[in-house]
Amino acid sequence: MAIVTFNINDLGSGDTEKLVETINRIGLEVEGVEGDEISIDVTPNRPDMLDFYGIKRALESFSNGKVPEYGYYAVKSEPELSIEVAEAVSRVRPYIAAFVAKGVKLNERSLKYMISFTEKLAETYGRSRKKMAIGLHNYNIVNGDLVYDASAEGRFLPIGADREMSFDEILERHAKGIKYSNTVSGKGRKKYPFLRDSEKILSMIPIINSKATAIDANTTNILVDVTGTSEKTVKETANLLAASLMDQGGEIYPVVILYKGRKEVTPDMTYRDIKVNLRKVDSTIGAKLTESMLVGYINRMGYPASKYGNNLLVHVPPYRLDVFNYQDVVEDIAISFGYDRIVPLPVRGVAVGLPGDLYEYGDDIARFMVGLGFTEAVNNYLTNEEISFSDMGYAGAAERVSVVYSKTENLTMLRMAILPGILQDLSRSVHERMPQRLFEIGSVFEVRGGKPYEKVNLAFASQNSKVNFAEAKSTLESVMKYLEVKYEIREAEDKAFISGRCAEIIIEGKKRGMLGEIAPSVLENFKLLEPIVACEVNLIGKVSYFEK
Amino acid sequence: MHEYQLKLLDFIKNRKESDVGSIAEGTGLSRDQVIWAVEALLEKKAVNAEKSRVAGASLTKEGREYMEMFPEERLVRSLKGPLKAAEIDDKIGLIWAKKNGWITLEGDTVKVNSKGMEAASKGFEYGMRKILNELDGMQSIDDGYMKKHADEIKALERRKLLNIEEKGFIGSVSITEEGRRMLESEESEGVGQLTKEMISSGSWKKMKFKRYDISAPAEESYAARLHPVREFINYVRHVWLDMGFVEVSGPIVESAFWNFDVLFSPQDHPTREMQDTFFLSNPKEISIEDVALLNRVKRMHKANWERIWKEELAKQALLRTQATSVSAHYIYKFANAVRGDYPVKLFSVGKVFRNESIDYKHLAELVQTDGIIIGDNLNLAHIIYTLKTFYQNLGFNVNNPKEFRFKPSYFPFVEPGLEAMYYDREKGDWIELVGAGIIRKEITKALGTSKTVLAWGAGLDRLFFKALDIDALTTLYKNDIGWLRSRGRLKL
Repeated sequence: MAIVTFNINDLGSGDTEKLVETINRIGLEVEGVEGDEISIDVTPNRPDMLDFYGIKRALESFSNGKVPEYGYYAVKSEPELSIEVAEAVSRVRPYIAAFVAKGVKLNERSLKYMISFTEKLAETYGRSRKKMAIGLHNYNIVNGDLVYDASAEGRFLPIGADREMSFDEILERHAKGIKYSNTVSGKGRKKYPFLRDSEKILSMIPIINSKATAIDANTTNILVDVTGTSEKTVKETANLLAASLMDQGGEIYPVVILYKGRKEVTPDMTYRDIKVNLRKVDSTIGAKLTESMLVGYINRMGYPASKYGNNLLVHVPPYRLDVFNYQDVVEDIAISFGYDRIVPLPVRGVAVGLPGDLYEYGDDIARFMVGLGFTEAVNNYLTNEEISFSDMGYAGAAERVSVVYSKTENLTMLRMAILPGILQDLSRSVHERMPQRLFEIGSVFEVRGGKPYEKVNLAFASQNSKVNFAEAKSTLESVMKYLEVKYEIREAEDKAFISGRCAEIIIEGKKRGMLGEIAPSVLENFKLLEPIVACEVNLIGKVSYFEK
Repeated sequence: MHEYQLKLLDFIKNRKESDVGSIAEGTGLSRDQVIWAVEALLEKKAVNAEKSRVAGASLTKEGREYMEMFPEERLVRSLKGPLKAAEIDDKIGLIWAKKNGWITLEGDTVKVNSKGMEAASKGFEYGMRKILNELDGMQSIDDGYMKKHADEIKALERRKLLNIEEKGFIGSVSITEEGRRMLESEESEGVGQLTKEMISSGSWKKMKFKRYDISAPAEESYAARLHPVREFINYVRHVWLDMGFVEVSGPIVESAFWNFDVLFSPQDHPTREMQDTFFLSNPKEISIEDVALLNRVKRMHKANWERIWKEELAKQALLRTQATSVSAHYIYKFANAVRGDYPVKLFSVGKVFRNESIDYKHLAELVQTDGIIIGDNLNLAHIIYTLKTFYQNLGFNVNNPKEFRFKPSYFPFVEPGLEAMYYDREKGDWIELVGAGIIRKEITKALGTSKTVLAWGAGLDRLFFKALDIDALTTLYKNDIGWLRSRGRLKL
């Protein structure tokens, strides 16, 4: 998601409330209106809407149903110049698209919008300039055909500096160089992409342009270059910019890109045709439309359309990058029709609801534990080694599910047991009245043989000045009797429990849990003040999904 | 005289001075009962008691936000090198870091000094934060604590992070002559406890029973209870079950393949970065067993997104970011196994994970409910009907367009996509409830079905706020026994 901000008066309508409503209706979201500024949240499928002119275009056709005729967005005549793609750059940032827009009418505000558009595009669609970046140049200062090349060395006067700088200096000292150095450095190969004409460097890509060809509000002829690592993205971005500059009075002149062994002419402003039939539209929206209504709805979303046998041919303008096939056009028709006009319809067919076994099982045990006087706790799955292991007196366990990176410092792994969480809960409640009894039933996780396993455990703890082993044993006994599980307990040693007051729980010959009085050292670690008896037992050894 | 008063007088009659705590312990009365008895006896001049004031603290909203970290701590942690004071936006952090002597000002350049470095280190426990956290847990603050931490408490109050409220407090209690006289004359006024022996022997018939003061305070009883999250989820589950949906569930530790690739999310999509998703270091990979499926998904990506699609990225293990992955598994399962009676209606409720910085509004673990309907001749009108019915059952006024509405929205795996929103009066803003749509044909085809699939996914956490009257999501998973015991019913 990206937020764009415009002056509300530039969008024409004097009625702010209506404007906000329309913007919401076409699938964007108004973040807020403050004074004359309106902020709009643009979803990642609509990079064309990062542009003031893109939004203006969409709002206009939505309001009056008028759409520029088929083929309006197109290039003029023969290519204006060529760009040769040198061998060196094809290994670091191989693709480029470019064009020249002539006769553009800029002013201070539209210049600001255009800069914001290119920056937002490079940030989102271009993945912070890594996948794609854009350069704008005053074409009147450009001399002759261009070369797109890469080199370790180079010097020019960049925007935002007052003297010539070398490529290395720019990366080290220039604000943009520091910010985007990660896009060109790495892998030990030090060759920086740049664009030059017959006499000078126009830009170090994707970092900064030369001051010599910088554009301002008086520039009328603009050279646009788009470079990157994805040819598709680079070409598509050129289309977006060409459409925007046409809306600002420009005429688009293509550029020939000379790759080694092939030739491309950019931008390719061909409309794509998508067949839409009325029945398919009706069956997706759940409404009955007529053909003439349909054409109206299509036009309102900015597509010209024409008849094609029994179907309609929708002509997708070159700036609509999100339209893959008919489904996407149908969505636009639904938007145009209005979601609030769709009459809700129940799904036909008799159906009986059925609860999931896993949840019901847990629910059952939870109710039983409440009957025994235990209050339910629900702890998070994400935890850390300190609580899971060191506070419990355990050495770590290599079988834990661990995360690569967490924004929150103390979330590093999924819990392998429930009891540490319960002890932590009790330590938050030391000021509350005793006795305190907590239980939790839920998932724990581990990795075995490289595969993740989810298991279901039950843990409970009872705290007050007079607890003893027998209390925990008696609770376990009632639960197991209720579940009809045969088990035995055997004396055992465990760092978390007092020696001689600790047992392991054996079910079908396997150790499945622990029971006993918590060791004072563990109480101390959790800052607990009264004795605790506790138990944790594994009830489901492996949760398996999708097998029934 | 009430039984509590008697017990109290009896306990203190041979002691010089007693405090409330020792009286409570010695008589078996609760503190509240002791305090009530002392007040009553004071009125009758039967005891002498020292009365003083005691304090209780309540944190402000800002105070709550500071519990994890104070601005001055954040500042010294984030300062990498010297910086001009004018460039630091966080003035509060700056002032307090200066006050604490953590930074040094040279001209107008701010530098973190050695004391500040120590404060920025991981293990550091900031006194002010420690006390704020401790005070949050205390019901009353005793004098000793108050005096010991007077400076910090005063500062916290000045920073408007907490409010200190004073309450009455009773110090040492001793019996008076009047008290002794009353205690003696109380003898043989009647029977207190009715006993089993009195009932079986019939001796009660000749007895006079002491009158009790029914205005005396009684201790609160606490019931063991289910956790509110379970109660709420159960309510949601029953709404789906009543609507004829079958409950399913799926893995939390998932491959990027099922979480992203199957759902048409391009491999270089920003949400697939570590910033937003918990990728795992153990296990690192989860293999994709159905090679034919893998190839279909690969073709789907190459035809629509970039020309390169990497299997190793699809195999990355992660904690699922949405439960739509469960829906995807079931679309696949129904396409490949059971030829069930369509439409098939499924729902799930489960945890999803976001790599967030946690505070009272943001959790790394969220509860989401997802649903799908697989069948023929399904369309937007059916989604709208289903979601309207669901939210009506959860108490939303779905037929008032000023309170509930659908709007277009974008999710990579549906087309068309929409979301339902409700108008939050307190916030004065529309809030998203659920994202929904018709699963893209590319996806259903790759998963092996020609049916239409309607799908949606909704966060439940926001609804917890409403149902539980809480102001911090973190409250839910703290399991503070005081809160678990005394919270009210869910408001649904």
